[in-house]
Amino acid sequence: MLTLRHSYPEGQSKPVFRVPFLIAIALAIAFGGGIWSTLVALDATIGFGAIRLGAWEAFPEAQTAKADPYAKSHRANAGKLLYASAEGLVFTAAVDETGARLTGNCSYRLTGHTPPARFWTLFAAAPGAAPPSAQSDLPRALNSRMVLRDGDGGFDIVMSATAKPGNWLAVPEAGPFRLTLTLFDTPTAGSSGLIDLSMPRIERTGCGNA
Amino acid sequence: MPRIFALQVLFAAVTGLIGAALLHLVIVLLLPDFSERDAYTRVLAEGESHRFYRLGEKPDRAGLSKNDPFVDTAVCAFDVSEGPLRLTAPNGGVPFWSLAVYDQSSNEVFSINDRTSAGGVLDVVIATPVQLTSLRQAQPPALSQSILVETTQAEGYVVLRSLVPQPSFADIASQFLSQATCTPFEWRSRSRF
Repeated sequence: MLTLRHSYPEGQSKPVFRVPFLIAIALAIAFGGGIWSTLVALDATIGFGAIRLGAWEAFPEAQTAKADPYAKSHRANAGKLLYASAEGLVFTAAVDETGARLTGNCSYRLTGHTPPARFWTLFAAAPGAAPPSAQSDLPRALNSRMVLRDGDGGFDIVMSATAKPGNWLAVPEAGPFRLTLTLFDTPTAGSSGLIDLSMPRIERTGCGNA
Repeated sequence: MPRIFALQVLFAAVTGLIGAALLHLVIVLLLPDFSERDAYTRVLAEGESHRFYRLGEKPDRAGLSKNDPFVDTAVCAFDVSEGPLRLTAPNGGVPFWSLAVYDQSSNEVFSINDRTSAGGVLDVVIATPVQLTSLRQAQPPALSQSILVETTQAEGYVVLRSLVPQPSFADIASQFLSQATCTPFEWRSRSRF
């Protein structure tokens, strides 16, 4: 005992406490980092294999056996009923054409055409929130049968928290939101990327009361 | 002495990071097998198998809800290990319906919509490869118009969706889903021994 005490100056810990301390650091980083990184990864993305068209992204293989491990893990954790390939394909957008986050404080215009589909629906919801009700007083969800179009079959939808003339999609009043565009019975779902797909553009028209 | 200690701490941190990476992979790969929030578990929690359950706009006690305000949805859990399953629904003018068959890991087995079906009527038989072979040999007249689907996994679930583009279609869509059946097919092969 005496020799041990002499070999270390005053104020320095004995090596006896050093090994448990190092093991505790390693374990804390391993478990904390492992669990945290998994939660972040499963929350941030649906997996690999996305189709990205402008601001829109879709995961045509997320519901199949060919999905990557992250996609399988994500869908097992989220527990959603996904659309199969003959049913439809879901495109989501969280940013506008310039890459800025979509927020309820600003107004946006959605112009152009969707890829070929028999029917489509469009709604906005806060991230993680439930889709809006069809019985809502405001037009929180639109579909291809209720949208007014121009001579080419294109549409021009104004997305804003306050009422606008023409096609108006009511978005959540404040905070970020995500757009969900679901194409039903579309060849896009089985597309190998060879078809030239055009998605409607999302452009910001103004913020605040502008 | 402090330099050695700093090196030891660094080594511990690196070991921790390698452990974190391993744990990340283990969780991601094993989560689908152990998840109790996946779609199949939730469909099973709706109630007994072999009947359709309509989903509402708010999550029910099983945690399932409609994905889209314009789409009415019904789910049915099945187990074809005892015998094939038959899905039928008469079409009373629904503008669009679609059916997806998933196995217990939520992998898509089969999907169909009203345009790809025969005459817009839902008539699908889900069977294991062995059942399907004897079904094809016997060719029961009741199944002459049915679409036969082979599944290697005996257990799974079915999602039936019906479109409501305008509120006036709600009754037709509701009727379509409530008349849909998801029942084991009563059929005995004569060549059974």
